[in-house]
Amino acid sequence: MAIRTGSRRARGRNQAPGLPWILPAMALVVGLIYYAIGDTFYISTLDWNGVSPFAEEVGAGNFAKMFADPVFWQSLTHTAVFFVCTFALQTLIGFTFAAILHTEVKLRTVHKVIVFLPTVLAPATMAPTFRLLFSDAGMLNDILRGIGLDKLAHPWLADPNTALPTIMLITVWQWTGMTFILYYASMSQIDSDILEAARLDGAGNFRVLSAIVWPSCRGTTTVMAILGFIGALKTFDVPWLVTVGGPNHATEFLGTYIYRQGIRNSHVGYAAAISLALLVLAVAGAILMTLNNRRQAK
Amino acid sequence: MFEIRRLSAKITIQVVLALLAIPYLIPLVQMVVGSLRGTGFGNYEAVWNTGVVPRFFLNSAIVAAGTIAIVYAVTMTAAFGFAKLRIFGKEVYFWLLLAALTLPEVVLLTPLFVTANTLGMYDTLLAVILPLAALQAPFTILLARNFYDGVPTELMEAGRVDGAGVVKVFWHIILPLTRPIAAAIIVLTLLNAWNSYLLPLVMLQSADHQVVTLLPQFFVGEFANDQTKVLASAVIIAIPEVVAYICLQKYFERGLSAGALK
Repeated sequence: MAIRTGSRRARGRNQAPGLPWILPAMALVVGLIYYAIGDTFYISTLDWNGVSPFAEEVGAGNFAKMFADPVFWQSLTHTAVFFVCTFALQTLIGFTFAAILHTEVKLRTVHKVIVFLPTVLAPATMAPTFRLLFSDAGMLNDILRGIGLDKLAHPWLADPNTALPTIMLITVWQWTGMTFILYYASMSQIDSDILEAARLDGAGNFRVLSAIVWPSCRGTTTVMAILGFIGALKTFDVPWLVTVGGPNHATEFLGTYIYRQGIRNSHVGYAAAISLALLVLAVAGAILMTLNNRRQAK
Repeated sequence: MFEIRRLSAKITIQVVLALLAIPYLIPLVQMVVGSLRGTGFGNYEAVWNTGVVPRFFLNSAIVAAGTIAIVYAVTMTAAFGFAKLRIFGKEVYFWLLLAALTLPEVVLLTPLFVTANTLGMYDTLLAVILPLAALQAPFTILLARNFYDGVPTELMEAGRVDGAGVVKVFWHIILPLTRPIAAAIIVLTLLNAWNSYLLPLVMLQSADHQVVTLLPQFFVGEFANDQTKVLASAVIIAIPEVVAYICLQKYFERGLSAGALK
């Protein structure tokens, strides 16, 4: 008996079995996430309110309903517009900010803290503030009236034309700090000899920025684009808490629509169908991210 | 990145910097100013006197601590297994995790809600902790595996020659080396758990079990939509986060950007 135990231990030394080590993580992730996804597939074929013992099988009915649902397409459009606009604005501000803070300027830490702070604050915490800030009596309108732009002053979130741009601004406010930190780190890795050589050749500040600094940060820009895409798909907290997806679905996203259909209206089957559409897009994002990681590793 | 010699240019760039930064302060100023309207600090007193604030904080702390404990334990062991041990079909398992990397939590909502109801876990903190941990773990395992890959395998072999088992090698040699990545993982998980809103919104019902992100909405009901007190509650929630960030700037910035940086 003792000998058998000994030999098993000896084998273990040369080739330690790893399965027990990954088992807890696999149990958690597969047990919870994969179970839930599998369940979503099943629920998506039902007409069900989530609690009743009776559920009607409707096959692909929920998907047919989804493709014919204008609000579903609206949500998708909002997600796309939201991604393009927030990504462009965040990149512009974050990149500029990082470039300036790499210059000899005063109060660097103060500026960094101001821009990064929103990243750590929960959207749920800030939502009441934003409802006030962009309301008729909010500070934004006070400022606009103060500088003579009375014509622009109006309730920003109640107007279907400005509600979505306002939601985008809030998101930019929240995530520019992240973009900035990543560009800042990536700029630190640029060889100063190259910058000096360019200047000796007579390149001005903007030429250096566009011909050397921007191309050197390409990796960061790609990462931010992928994170932005995934973030746009996940969008829920801000539109739900600030505008409840309204007015009249003007700030509806896939996340808010799933919540509205599944939890609010108890159309659990329909919500599951939209969830699967979202899932397909998110997996596409995951594949992009992994491919990018692989490429960088090479 | 800019080379500046003339004084006028120095002033210009300083002004541009300030103009870029000031809009980022406006919401915070609005929050504090709004919370002091009407009865001034009386708003804070009214919020505090409801007596629920410590309870909400405690629940958030439990959720955060529970999520961190689970994420840390499964991440450290799994990343070690993936990076250093032999597993048949290793990459298949890894891809299974990676596929869950970008999953929006809202996708899980319906089945989790139904399951929690069936298992009698609805309105318990565990119903929030477990999904949060499951959603966080794939990402932290990816981070930690990349880190472990950089730890020389010779270190482990040296330990084994001295007669230590895998568990001992992991505990005494590997784990102490992983502190930098562990700090990033803990900060990241802490922020995501503390700031999570959707799962608590769906899973927690009674006031005894709610967390800080639900506090403003709670006060919207409590004070018949008195904005000043709602904002005062938001300031109370924000203060610990602001203080924590300012004290631990380096860790927060590293933790949040760890995934994108290699």
